[in-house]
Amino acid sequence: MTDHKIKIATTSLAGCFGCHMSFLDMDEKLAILSEYIEFNRSPFTDIKHCEPSDIGLIEGGVCTAENVHVLREFRTHCRILVAVGACAITGGVPAMRNYFDLRDCLEEAYLHGAGITNPQIPNDTELPLLLDKVYPVGDVVKIDYFLPGCPPPADAFLQLLLPLLDGKAPQMTGEKLHYD
Amino acid sequence: MANNEHTITIDGTEIHFKAGQTIMDAALSAKIYIPHLCHYPGLTPSGNCRLCVVELNGKHVTACTTQAQFGQQIRNQTPELHAARMAITQMLFVEGNHICPSCEKSGNCKLQAMGYYLGMRDEHYPQFNPRREMDASHPAVLLDRSRCILCDLCVRASREVDGKNVFAIAGRGIHAHLIVNSASGKLGDSDIAVDDVAANICPVGAILIKEKGYVTPIGRRIYDQRMISEVAFDEHVPEHEEHGND
Amino acid sequence: MTTGQSSESASKKGVRRIAIDPVTRVEGHGKITLLLDSDNHIREARFHIVEFRGFEKFIQGRPYWEVPFFVQRLCGICPVSHQLAAAKAVDQLAGVDRLTPTATKLRRLLHFGQILQSHALHFFHLTSPDFLFGFGSDPVRRNIVGVLEKHPEIALQGVKLRKYGQQIIEAITGKRVHGTGTLPGGMNKPLTTGWRDALLADIENILLWSGNAVKLNEQIHTANPEHADFATFPSNYLSLTGEKGELELYHGELRARYPDGAFIFDQFDYCDYQQILREEVRSWSYMKFPYLHQLGKDHGWYRVGPLARVNNCDRISTPRAEAERKRFRAYGHDKPIHSTLAYHWARMIEALHCAESIQNLLHDPDISGTELVAEKGDRRHEGIGVIEAPRGTLFHHYQVNDEGIVTRANLIVSTTSNNQAMNESIRIVANRYLDGREITEGLLNHLEVAVRAYDPCLSCATHALGKMPLQVELVDARGALIHRLVKNSDGQYEQCITIQGGNY
Repeated sequence: MTDHKIKIATTSLAGCFGCHMSFLDMDEKLAILSEYIEFNRSPFTDIKHCEPSDIGLIEGGVCTAENVHVLREFRTHCRILVAVGACAITGGVPAMRNYFDLRDCLEEAYLHGAGITNPQIPNDTELPLLLDKVYPVGDVVKIDYFLPGCPPPADAFLQLLLPLLDGKAPQMTGEKLHYD
Repeated sequence: MANNEHTITIDGTEIHFKAGQTIMDAALSAKIYIPHLCHYPGLTPSGNCRLCVVELNGKHVTACTTQAQFGQQIRNQTPELHAARMAITQMLFVEGNHICPSCEKSGNCKLQAMGYYLGMRDEHYPQFNPRREMDASHPAVLLDRSRCILCDLCVRASREVDGKNVFAIAGRGIHAHLIVNSASGKLGDSDIAVDDVAANICPVGAILIKEKGYVTPIGRRIYDQRMISEVAFDEHVPEHEEHGND
Repeated sequence: MTTGQSSESASKKGVRRIAIDPVTRVEGHGKITLLLDSDNHIREARFHIVEFRGFEKFIQGRPYWEVPFFVQRLCGICPVSHQLAAAKAVDQLAGVDRLTPTATKLRRLLHFGQILQSHALHFFHLTSPDFLFGFGSDPVRRNIVGVLEKHPEIALQGVKLRKYGQQIIEAITGKRVHGTGTLPGGMNKPLTTGWRDALLADIENILLWSGNAVKLNEQIHTANPEHADFATFPSNYLSLTGEKGELELYHGELRARYPDGAFIFDQFDYCDYQQILREEVRSWSYMKFPYLHQLGKDHGWYRVGPLARVNNCDRISTPRAEAERKRFRAYGHDKPIHSTLAYHWARMIEALHCAESIQNLLHDPDISGTELVAEKGDRRHEGIGVIEAPRGTLFHHYQVNDEGIVTRANLIVSTTSNNQAMNESIRIVANRYLDGREITEGLLNHLEVAVRAYDPCLSCATHALGKMPLQVELVDARGALIHRLVKNSDGQYEQCITIQGGNY
């Protein structure tokens, strides 16, 4: 039985977790769905690295070198890779930092903010390198499907998953299309 | 039909037109939607957005600037034109800062509605992330150039309806941008008024009435309820006399 | 008391590094690193936030009425908290000091729905597997799908509690995540009677299930003597309270207590927060370290969130939650409870309070009113909004110019205030459970259990949005990787040992 379950890996890069919330907004349908799917790497599980999966759901754009690494790991291991939500598709609200110099953003947060003591820009080997800009995931790897919205409604996940459960390609129609 | 000499055919449907009408005018009267962003019935057509390009006798023409003539065989809904319209729309998105999630025009934005109509699921092209000047100097009207799609509806509305000439497009190509006709170049020093058509006709979130954002609840915004292809039939600029034409 | 030792210690001879990266079943992306000496004794334990967004910068130049919908994108779990905190600041910017009764009650209802769904999500979807299956249980089952299979009745109650909170949000904001709703000085639509009646039809079940959740958490906490000592340490507590010292989630004044329960201050106007709070930057985390200025960096840090609020308040205004608060207090001998795992118990007491408050508001005639927006006054240049978000006290502070454009923003999000406490917690757990021992998957999950108790939202904390996936690395004194533990998809930890001629 486990052999027939669809394996889903999920991650949030430079996202707000709202797309993951929208996935959970399937509510009681999750209980039914859980008979047909299983999670691989996901914030919902304690699996830390993506292994071969049927579907990878990527929330959020790419803003650090580590995001690039995780995204490539997903592309390697997921048969179908889906960009979920405005941030993954276009960079979204976090990409508004693209209109500024990254250094200005860091200085505003860590040097010039109100009530700051020990002002310094965090710079430690434990912190992944920030990219100059926030990029859509499609700029880094090939994406098979896009679920627009901020976040996409729970029904959009069902529309994506249900055909896959029948072994068919998802039919993405425009009816639920919303960029919010 | 009273006058058989005044018909054209769009995608196999024969429709009537009045003398002097463009293909766009005739199509709108017949409730046939030809996608458009820079056209607004009642203003002089400008033909700049290119979304209304249709196929006429094997040639591509803009429906908003081409006169309807008897017997024209026009193709509007074709896979090729759809692909071109999609590309244009995607390019308009990436050239500006169109972050729908936090934009106050969301739900009432024609660019967004065009994306829905065309089934646009991603923006395909690399983002430009331009940094363009915001002008908040007017007490009631806000100009955020980072969202301007250069449709020049505000330019025409100000000139033709409001009789004021507040806006113009300067520069060419990638350097084209909206300018304000005042000594300082600021909206606050222009004679635009909050109920001018020019202040209210922007199809995107570039010219906004201040402090009105998010007033319409989600679900009741224009394009929450209807597609742009239906809303288009209801549009017409108000009559001149309502707006103290000098 | 501080974990803020310099990172140079990593370069001392014979020191090994262990990293848990990413931490899972929390919201956002962070990792834990440990430095151990050659006898496996813990030298240092740190919880790092590894993402950065920069909202404070790029909100500059935006019109002030856009702010609530912009900043709610900090977080998809508590967007309503950000929208409301910003909206409170925006009211001031629009010159409004008093909302209509309907608008105030709609905002309160919205906030109770938000806290109910967030608390349900945290316990049932993210944390319950640790307690229902055990900290060191099979990692493959240790998730919500495992709970749905093994304890479907508990899992489904959790799913429905969350759903109910989300429905309230949808009814008022038009969407479950990132809707609209607030306007300068009010709200953009009334609650329809259709929605009100639909919500009322389910409220008895919601009261029952949230009551069950309190009982379950009390039982989990009191039945396991180990839980009382797990990551337990005395700390200060900060929260809003109402004017009579009652639990207050939407609007009140600041109260802080010393570990023994004495007031540090009480009924402090939150608009003066800058007088009492400072934030320290440390090189190894994008999340800052706030502290109470009067007590200094080493002693001024404090905890926020459900534990702080239930410890801090004198009473709860709704009867069922108040009865549960009294049981909680009695368990702690009428003193603040410092056990980190008591966060879960306190959180469910709040969930019950939300359910009761929702019931009261739905029966209040004002809730269906149509007077939604107060008249605006003279525009002001500064606005400060503070609210108790699910994870703790949340500060939004904006300055705008004459044109209504934001010139400065300062946000102190709830999880940031727990930064030092989360670091203390993992240091204590590391010393207690890992010190001098061989590392196992179960031991690593103990560290995550300690962090999870705070329900950290690391998306918010970086003024960002993120992920939180566990990997532990040992690195030699020169920084070369010698030992890595990785959680596989089957949940097993895989050990990869690379000897590169280091000191180990």
